[in-house]
Amino acid sequence: MKKHLIAVPYYVWAVVFIAVPLLMIGYCAFTDASGAFTLENIQQITKYWPVMLRSLLYAAVATACCLVIGYLLAYCMAQQSERTKTVLMILLMLPMWISFVLRTQAMQDLLDLVQNWLKAAGIDLQVRNNALAVVLGLIYNYLPFMVLPIYTSLEKLDKRVIEAAEDLGANRFNVFRKVILPLTMPGVGSGIIMVFVPTISTFVVSEKLGGAKFNLIGNVIQEQFLQVYNPNVGAAISLVMLVLILFILIIFSFLDDETKEGLL
Amino acid sequence: MKNIIELQNIHVSFDGETILDHFNLNIRDKEFVTLLGPSGCGKTTSLRAIAGFVQPQAGKVLFEGKDITKLPPHKRQVNTVFQRYALFSHYNVFENIAFGLRISKTPEKEIKERVHEMLALVNLKGFENRNVAQLSGGQQQRVAIARALVNNPKVLLLDEPLAALDLKLRKGMQNELLRIQRQMGITFVYVTHDQEEALTMSDTVVVMKDGLIQQIGTPEDIYNEPTNPFVADFIGESNILPGTMLKDYLVEFEGVEFPCVDAGFGENVAVDVVVRPEDIKIREPEEEALHGVVETVTFKGVHYEMMVRSANYLWKIHSITCREPGTKIGMKIIPEYIHIMAKEAGTAN
Repeated sequence: MKKHLIAVPYYVWAVVFIAVPLLMIGYCAFTDASGAFTLENIQQITKYWPVMLRSLLYAAVATACCLVIGYLLAYCMAQQSERTKTVLMILLMLPMWISFVLRTQAMQDLLDLVQNWLKAAGIDLQVRNNALAVVLGLIYNYLPFMVLPIYTSLEKLDKRVIEAAEDLGANRFNVFRKVILPLTMPGVGSGIIMVFVPTISTFVVSEKLGGAKFNLIGNVIQEQFLQVYNPNVGAAISLVMLVLILFILIIFSFLDDETKEGLL
Repeated sequence: MKNIIELQNIHVSFDGETILDHFNLNIRDKEFVTLLGPSGCGKTTSLRAIAGFVQPQAGKVLFEGKDITKLPPHKRQVNTVFQRYALFSHYNVFENIAFGLRISKTPEKEIKERVHEMLALVNLKGFENRNVAQLSGGQQQRVAIARALVNNPKVLLLDEPLAALDLKLRKGMQNELLRIQRQMGITFVYVTHDQEEALTMSDTVVVMKDGLIQQIGTPEDIYNEPTNPFVADFIGESNILPGTMLKDYLVEFEGVEFPCVDAGFGENVAVDVVVRPEDIKIREPEEEALHGVVETVTFKGVHYEMMVRSANYLWKIHSITCREPGTKIGMKIIPEYIHIMAKEAGTAN
C-alpha cells in the first residue's frame, strides 16, 4: 500500500508529461486545423522521406563512429589507475556541463576559424555546411553517452575471467573478441540507444553546422510547429518517427539476448 | 623423477612490499604438491608466477628445464583452476569447456569428443547446455576443472579451488580431485590455507610464511617432524614449550626429565619442545612425574579438549576420556611423541 503511495508523484509526472503529450500528438496528427478527422497529414509524410532517410543515415553513421571511438576510449580509461580514471572521467563530463546549444555554437565558430585559416593558406575546402560537419557535431555531442555505459560494463567485468581466457591460450585479440566484447554487450546496447535516439531527432546540430542544406527531420518538425504554424503535419511526422524508432529498437533487441538486456 | 617446474630465486614485491623473497621450489612430474600457509604468505603469488600472471623482478621460472619467465600466460602449457571459478557467464557449460580447444582451432568432431570425455570425468554428463549461472558452487567448480583439463596440460594449478564450498562438499571434492589427478597422471600444484586439506591430498606439502618456505616434506614429515614452531603451530594443534636438551636422547621440560629420540643438539642446550595434544595420555598423578590440574573441558565430538595447568605451562590435551575441572592428573608422553626443535635466533616464544 505504502509503495503505491510513493509512486504517485511519478504516475502524475508520467501522465502529465508523457501520456498526455503523446495523446495530443496522436490527436493532432489525425485532425486538421478545424479539428475534423483527416489522413491528409500522414499522407504528406511522403514529401519528407528524403529528409527522414538522411536523418536515419546520419544518426546511424554518428552512432557507429561513437561506438568505435567510445569503445576504445572506455577501454583505455578502464585500464588506468583509479586516480587517472577520475581525471579522465571529469574531462569527459566537463563539456556536458555547458549548454548543448552553446557547445554547438562554439563548434560552428571553431569550424569557421579553420575555414578562414584554410582560405588564408589558399586551400579551397568547405569545412562547414556539409554532411561531414553535421555528423562530426553529432559525434562530438553524443560521444559521452556512448562512453559511459560501455565504461561501466568494462569496470564491472571480472578481471579473473580475462585471466582465465589467457590461461586457456587466448591471445589479446581473442580475449577481446571472445570474452571482453560479449560480456560488455549490455553496455554497448545501452550506448547505441543513448546515442541513436537523440541523434535521429536533433535539430540544433544540423541548423548550426549544416546550414540550411542539410536539414534533419528534427528541423522539419521544428519548422512545422514554429515557422509554418502547422502543428498537425508536425505531429504527424513526429508520430511516424516515433513508430519508426520503436520499430528499429525492436528489431535491434531481437539481435541477441545480451543486447536486449542492455536495452531494458 | 625429473622436475617439471623449477622456481629459481624468484623475487616478487608489490609497492615495495616483498611477497616472495628469493624463493626456490622444485616440483617433480606427476606429483600432487600443496603450497600451504596463512593468507599473505605468497602461496598464490608463486602459483601466479608459474601461470605467468605475475612477472618476478628477479629469478627464473623453468618448465621442463626451459626458461619460461618471459613467456605470456597464453603460451604456457599449464592451466589454472581459479578461486571462485571465473567461468564465462556468456557461454553454456559445453562452450566453457570447449573454450581452449576452440582457441587452438581443434576440429569440431574432436572438440565434441573431448568435452564429453571431460564431462564424464567430472561427473557432469547431461549438463552441456546448462547456463553456468544456474549451476551450484560444486558444479561450477567441476566445470572450471574440466575447462582447464580439456587442454591436456602437463601441470594443473589450483588456487584454493574448494574454499567457497561447504564442508561436506569440500570433502567430496577432495577425493574427486585426487581421483582425477591419478586418472590423468599429471602434476597438480594446489594452493590452500587449510592444513587438513593439504595433509589429506598431497604427496608433498610446502609450508610457507612471509614469502619464505618453512618446510617441504610429505604430509607425515610435516605433521610429525615440524622444523620450527610456526610449522608445528600451523599444522594441527601443538603444545610448544621451552626445554633443555641435557644430552643426546634426554630432554628436560617443566622440571621433568624425559627420554626422547632426538640427538645431535649438544649438551645443556635450550630447545623448543613440541607435543601434539592427542599424544599426551592421562594417568593418575602418582603414576607420572609430570602433573597438572584440569582447568577447562570442552566436548569436541570425537574427543574432549582439556586445558591442563602444570608448573609453568598450560597444556592442551585431546582425549576420549574426560576429567572434571579441578582434577589433578598425571601426563604420560612416550619418547616418540616428543619433538625437539632447535631454538631459532630471534624467535620469541
